[in-house]
Amino acid sequence: MDRASVMVSAPSHLGLRGLTKRYGSFVAVDGLSLDVAKGEMVAFLGPSGCGKTTSLRMIAGLTPASAGEIVVGGRELSGVKAHQRDIGVVFQNYALFPHMTVAENIAFGLEMRRCSRAERTQRVAEALRLVHLEGLDKRKPAELSGGQQQRVALARALVIRPSILLLDEPLSNLDAKLREEMRNEIRDIQQRLGITAIFVTHDQGEALAMCDKVAVLNQGRLDQVGTPEDLYERPATPFVASFVGRGNWFEGDACGARVELPWGTLAVARPCTGRARLMVRPHRIRIEPQRLQPPAAGSDGEWNTLLGTVERVVYAGDLVQYEVRVGAGAGANAAVTVERSTGAQREPVAVGMPVSLSFLAADTLVFGNGG
Amino acid sequence: MTVAAAIAPTRPAKTGQPVATTALTAATLLLPIVAINTLGFLVPVFNLLLMSMRKVEASGALLDAWTAASWLKLFVDGFYLQLLWNTVRVSALITLLTLLASYPIALYLHRSRGTWRNLLLVLVIAPLLTSAVVRTYGWIAILSDQGVLNAAARALGAGAPLRLMFNEVGVVIGLTEILMPYMILSLLAGFGRLDPRLEEAAASLGAGPFAVFRRVVLPLSLPGVALGSLLAFVLSVSSFITPKLLGGGRVFLLATEIYDQAIVTLNWPLAATLSIVVLLVFGLALAAYGRVVRRIG
Repeated sequence: MDRASVMVSAPSHLGLRGLTKRYGSFVAVDGLSLDVAKGEMVAFLGPSGCGKTTSLRMIAGLTPASAGEIVVGGRELSGVKAHQRDIGVVFQNYALFPHMTVAENIAFGLEMRRCSRAERTQRVAEALRLVHLEGLDKRKPAELSGGQQQRVALARALVIRPSILLLDEPLSNLDAKLREEMRNEIRDIQQRLGITAIFVTHDQGEALAMCDKVAVLNQGRLDQVGTPEDLYERPATPFVASFVGRGNWFEGDACGARVELPWGTLAVARPCTGRARLMVRPHRIRIEPQRLQPPAAGSDGEWNTLLGTVERVVYAGDLVQYEVRVGAGAGANAAVTVERSTGAQREPVAVGMPVSLSFLAADTLVFGNGG
Repeated sequence: MTVAAAIAPTRPAKTGQPVATTALTAATLLLPIVAINTLGFLVPVFNLLLMSMRKVEASGALLDAWTAASWLKLFVDGFYLQLLWNTVRVSALITLLTLLASYPIALYLHRSRGTWRNLLLVLVIAPLLTSAVVRTYGWIAILSDQGVLNAAARALGAGAPLRLMFNEVGVVIGLTEILMPYMILSLLAGFGRLDPRLEEAAASLGAGPFAVFRRVVLPLSLPGVALGSLLAFVLSVSSFITPKLLGGGRVFLLATEIYDQAIVTLNWPLAATLSIVVLLVFGLALAAYGRVVRRIG
């Protein structure tokens, strides 16, 4: 399905309107407004202290909001207590009840909903199958591995068939390999059940890989919300551009679609005036020995070409990282990082070699005043 | 060293202490506490056991002869069985009341943080800085016929004074207050697994405040409850001054009776017998505690 059309046409299942949290004079979350369609998974992405967990806690009803509205399925939740909200939460440390078995943990929410014993047994078994924990129902949480505890927490939150599933950094306590596995599994389950989910994380890789949309929070404010591609290709602010992915940053004076730098002039993606910051992703830059012909302007648009000398080559298995000094003279040069997939390089490049760097104007993102 | 080499001949000396040397170190370190416990506890208890089987004259003079008279008296004379039951019943009641009064305080303390928590902790422990005698006299000033409570009741137009002293009521009130610091500290020590995030998880799953308490907070606080109850029960059974003063000789408990037999009647064998009964009660309480703790894991 086309993501963009879903975003435009689907009605909002979860709506945040000016959600705000103040602690004295400190504003933890500042007027957060966002719509999440049914069945969508949206990441709240940001560094620690950006307000993402506070936002999640306000949606769950665990922290009272200072101002703003939370609407779920057309129902405004401000007066509704946490236990009446029907929202499933997977906590960062799982928060499994240590005195209950796995089955009792999962059945807890059903008991609170006065489900019959027969229905409870059946739904617990179903939930255990969903997270691949059949046969572990009589274990205590302390007898499970981190990944298994994570699955129990997920099953416990899902078994009540909540209107929304909230996940608070659910993968941060797992080792790298397990994290990758659980990442795919959580996404699979979320899509299979068609459940609306909010995924809080500080890991941009997780956010991009797992979610339909990503909301980047910066000091309590929403900087940008969009598809992973939007964020990566068309970051709205320098913060988003630097937080999501890596980049080479330059500063210069813009005049239309050109920016003057101390060591050269670059064509940029869109016109701008005044002081401007430029950003080029390292892997969007081609690197070649200077004797080869640089690419000419074609259907891709205009190319920027810089000349420089290779200062460092770092081989990292899947990619090679080059550090190239461009421009000449003290203060009038800059280090540019280039990343190429190993095997993609036509001509080998070594330290000390004069090289030409080329990248598209469309890949030269510009952030400036009034731009 | 030769012993160690004989026991662990394959273990190279450089990889660490041989097993026998480690055991020797452990034994050396344990020796002082073993010596103190033997001299200070096991020997006196054994003496107590011997004393309980000595023959005694009405004057209190001990004879060099053995008899089971004191033990027989314990079971034949209904008074002593009644005494035992009274002691267990009153102590259990005091333990329960101490628990009920202390639990909310301990829970609040567990959840508070920083300076406020430290201040409250000092306030909880402060009563332990005054002796139980002083605190008991404090209760006399409050509970007696001319005390604060009855004066207030009179001012409000009450007729005959409320009998709050020289009876079980006084003993229960006094001991409950005196034992509260021990109970609160034990509860706090046992609240380790109580995590506010678990309560939030329960709430997110649809549990209201009462259900959260019953299904999460209470079960997880049971280790503290068990520890505090054991301590309060044992201290209550063995407490002597408060029952003596607030009971005014009209509340009969094992501890006060032991004092009377040993000091007033000079029947040391009977006092020794009752002391051993108290020890047995402690043993049973400890066994019950062990069972509870194993059950709740």
